[in-house]
Amino acid sequence: MATNRQAASTHSRWRAPILFAVLAVLFVLEGTVRNSMFSGSWNTSLAILNMGLISAITALGVNMQWGYAGLFNVGVVGFLAMGALAPVLISLPPVEGAWEAGGTRLMLALAVGLGTLAMAKLAWTRTRSGILTVAVLIGGFIVYRWLFDPAVTAIEANNPARHGNIGGLGLPVLLSWVVGGVFAAAAAWAIGKVALGLRSDYLAIATLGIGEIIVAVMKNEDWLARGVKNITAIPRPVAQEVELQRNPEFVEFAASWGFPAAEASGIWVKLSYMSLFLVALLVIILLAELALKSPWGRMMRAIRDNETAAEAMGKDVTRRHLQVFILGSAVIGVAGAMMVTLDGLLAPTSYNPLRYTFLIWVMVIVGGSGNNWGAVLGAVTIWFLWIKAEVWGPALIAMLTGPMADGPVKAHLLDSAPHMRFIAMGAVLLLVLRFAPRGLLPEQ
Amino acid sequence: MDILNALVVFLNFVFIPAAAYGAQLALGALGVTLIYGILRFSNFAHGDTMAFGTGVVILLTWGLQSLGISAGPLPTALIALPFGIALTALLVLGTDRAVYKFYRKQKAAPIILVMASVGVMFVMNGLTRILIGVDEYRFDDGARFIMDVRTFREMTGLPEGLALRSTQALTVVVALIVMVALFWFLNRTKSGKAMRAYSDNEDLALLSGIDPERVVRLTWIIAAGLATIAGTLYGLDKSFKAFNYFQILLPIFAAAIVGGLGNPLGAIAGGFLVAFSEVAVTYPWVRVVGYLFPGYEPSGLMQLLGTEYKFAVSFVILIVVLLFRPTGLFRGKSV
Amino acid sequence: MSDAGFGNRGNRDASVVNLKGMGQIDGTRRSGPVGAGRAGDPFLIGENMTGGYGKGADILHDCTIAVEQGQIAVIVGPNGAGKSTAMKAIFGMLNLRQGSVRLNGQDITALNPQDRVKAGMGFVPQVNNIFPSMTVEENLEMGAYIRRDDIKATMEQVYELFPAVAAKRRQAAGELSGGQRQQVAVGRALMTQPQVLMLDEPTAGVSPIVMDELFDRIIAIARGGLPVLMVEQNARQAMMIADKAYVLVQGANAHTGTGHELMQNDEVRRTFLGG
Repeated sequence: MATNRQAASTHSRWRAPILFAVLAVLFVLEGTVRNSMFSGSWNTSLAILNMGLISAITALGVNMQWGYAGLFNVGVVGFLAMGALAPVLISLPPVEGAWEAGGTRLMLALAVGLGTLAMAKLAWTRTRSGILTVAVLIGGFIVYRWLFDPAVTAIEANNPARHGNIGGLGLPVLLSWVVGGVFAAAAAWAIGKVALGLRSDYLAIATLGIGEIIVAVMKNEDWLARGVKNITAIPRPVAQEVELQRNPEFVEFAASWGFPAAEASGIWVKLSYMSLFLVALLVIILLAELALKSPWGRMMRAIRDNETAAEAMGKDVTRRHLQVFILGSAVIGVAGAMMVTLDGLLAPTSYNPLRYTFLIWVMVIVGGSGNNWGAVLGAVTIWFLWIKAEVWGPALIAMLTGPMADGPVKAHLLDSAPHMRFIAMGAVLLLVLRFAPRGLLPEQ
Repeated sequence: MDILNALVVFLNFVFIPAAAYGAQLALGALGVTLIYGILRFSNFAHGDTMAFGTGVVILLTWGLQSLGISAGPLPTALIALPFGIALTALLVLGTDRAVYKFYRKQKAAPIILVMASVGVMFVMNGLTRILIGVDEYRFDDGARFIMDVRTFREMTGLPEGLALRSTQALTVVVALIVMVALFWFLNRTKSGKAMRAYSDNEDLALLSGIDPERVVRLTWIIAAGLATIAGTLYGLDKSFKAFNYFQILLPIFAAAIVGGLGNPLGAIAGGFLVAFSEVAVTYPWVRVVGYLFPGYEPSGLMQLLGTEYKFAVSFVILIVVLLFRPTGLFRGKSV
Repeated sequence: MSDAGFGNRGNRDASVVNLKGMGQIDGTRRSGPVGAGRAGDPFLIGENMTGGYGKGADILHDCTIAVEQGQIAVIVGPNGAGKSTAMKAIFGMLNLRQGSVRLNGQDITALNPQDRVKAGMGFVPQVNNIFPSMTVEENLEMGAYIRRDDIKATMEQVYELFPAVAAKRRQAAGELSGGQRQQVAVGRALMTQPQVLMLDEPTAGVSPIVMDELFDRIIAIARGGLPVLMVEQNARQAMMIADKAYVLVQGANAHTGTGHELMQNDEVRRTFLGG
């Protein structure tokens, strides 16, 4: 351990600035050069960057859990989805008639559901009677379903073509980012309380499960967010492209820079999002760094490096782990809310663990476990590669298969070229693990 | 009260599907548990190994079918299976050589192997996509049913029918044969005992003259075999879609952990427990209840949870078991 | 366990990592060629050994340990003197920068531990020296892993030597008492039919009565013609049964002689035997 720390400090302090500069150059190339490698469109470049920044916030959340405390969370997709619910429930306008149809009954049902779990826990800790606990659970479940089923049917019957969901509160969408964090934190508290409290923790499998479950809930509970019918038209915190194009002042401004209004409006909107995301990212990274350097952060790392010693010194390891797990998940939740805001769309079927859990892990490991700037660097870099590999893969295959005679094999290879990016991501992760396991920017 | 019809409905919709599914999960969980016990990490690439192996089997099956070769009433995939296993084993051994061996030599902490398995998962996922694509395929041929609903009704005169698809019977039979063979291998042969010894105490196995690399190779070959068989049976029973094999990782892990990670017997028990609970909890019991209590007419479907939530079931079982028996039902390696 | 970049992260999560039974010896290392021994060598000798674990500092400094046919040699010394390290060096578990190990007229310095077992060396580590989830009988079978002939006779001999564990042959070795586990451990090593038996503190952590019994068995094994090399904490008892004793201090030979000679040596008595 000590030797590694020393090795880290001998890394040039220019390493981070240089790597970030290289990354910036890539985005500039993407925005300006048009060839088989780059699109030459600022709109594409900024779109990649914006999603990259959201990935960076997600990676920061994972890095807090993994880098600070060594917790292995494989349910990132679930916490992102938890956060994604917030814009829908907070910032969408209320659905007419939904609340009257069964809102109160629904709330009551959810309260009964949670109350049942609490009662069961109480029954078990107080009496240690399995029969009583199971009886509480069964009784509670029956009451819950009796309340819940009619309420859901009523809500989903309310204008099903357009709504059929409970609707939102009509509050500002930026507020929903914070609420997204709270949602994810709540889920993390529940799962962490159980999985971290076991004799040896089973966090990985527990998060894998909860991730699947949250996504399943989002897909199937139509009353919540219309399920697979998707929610569109989530309020935007920035201007609409069409509005800008109608604004003569903006058109003139764009012309003065030599951009057609349509292209300029897209760039303007993306720059606005970028500014918002950058502010959020910087605030989170500042808080994360402050936390890491505080006594709390030092204790976290002490526990991570030597749990036994920390425990012997009277530190409550489980409690600390739960704290950092909740905090990290909250950050992931914020990113989930931001993602839905950027897309203006909640599409539960797109929540794929490979993309939203394991790709984030590639980002964190490539960036450098325990280094917040590394997480940001890794996230934006990997996201750029992930998007561009879809273009570069076919280009590469086309080049390689150029001399081949046309036939089914060549056609198959060309067809499957976009899948190359999975292999590329795996290869990047394996290479980093092998040759630079501490990542691009090792922990200080 | 019509116990006979209730029983037929129960067998048809709960017992038979759950037994087949349980056998598939058990085979998958055996692979996970063996790798956990001997190579000491949870292999996130196991689902994709299953998908890859099944993909190979499907391609070979198509090849055999185009040559006009079939296995009569049995699915052609059974002939392709040994070759599929061999190819998958080669891939997995190659992966071990290229990726995992390095960390074994370093005596690296197992968490690095877990991370590496995530990288391998990406690569295998891509390979499977390139090999066979992301679409859904059915590749069962041969006889569809051992017993179909109409024959059963005519035989018994009962209003309820019972169907036993040949793939379901095949799944259970093949799984049983594989399990017995595996247990015989682990408990009765020298190589199998060497694998258990290595799992128990790596250094002492080495000091007894057991070649660790041979144990590792054997483990990968067996795991590849189990994964390919489990994947092929799952695909024959339901259908092949690469993404489903990724998703099945959760119930497989749940089964392995519920049974006690590292314990093969536990993996089997866990597989059946998870499968039966999933099916039982997501099955609408209204018809069974209707036969048992003719006077009672329930308003709903008597379904505890929608089928979409079957993953939740494996998860809840997992949590409950871990709360009360932290090392799993059968004592696993973990403390 | 090295931390190749991740520190201690993730190692408490039992759903992904399994640390139980994990080893420290690199099992992937290939053996080098076997050379010729030297005329007049003892049966087993580790000569002028210098080296340490991995890339760490040297623990052994020009250390020489040998055992003759049919004799008992013991290594004693204060804590941290490198006694166990010397054993491990002879068994090929650490990198020797200098020196050689020769067995029965062959230079085996380049062999990996697996192949040293095949060359006729039996080793009983100090801790983790049984397969806890396997039965006593399976433990013994694993000891005979490299043998291709019938092992029944050897197994009977081991059971005769240790009747206490014979009664528990179907029981998991991990469920036995400390002394019985040590007997299983020694039995496992004997099953190889080694030409030399190496014991690393066989009496660590067992009660005095069990310790005496174990010493009796070890003497019996040596009188049967099998040379024994062992590390021992209880220097006095060890020297009483030793044909040859090595006192190590800071990884180097401090005193060497027959057990009897060293018992008479004032300095050895004062420093190690408590007067």
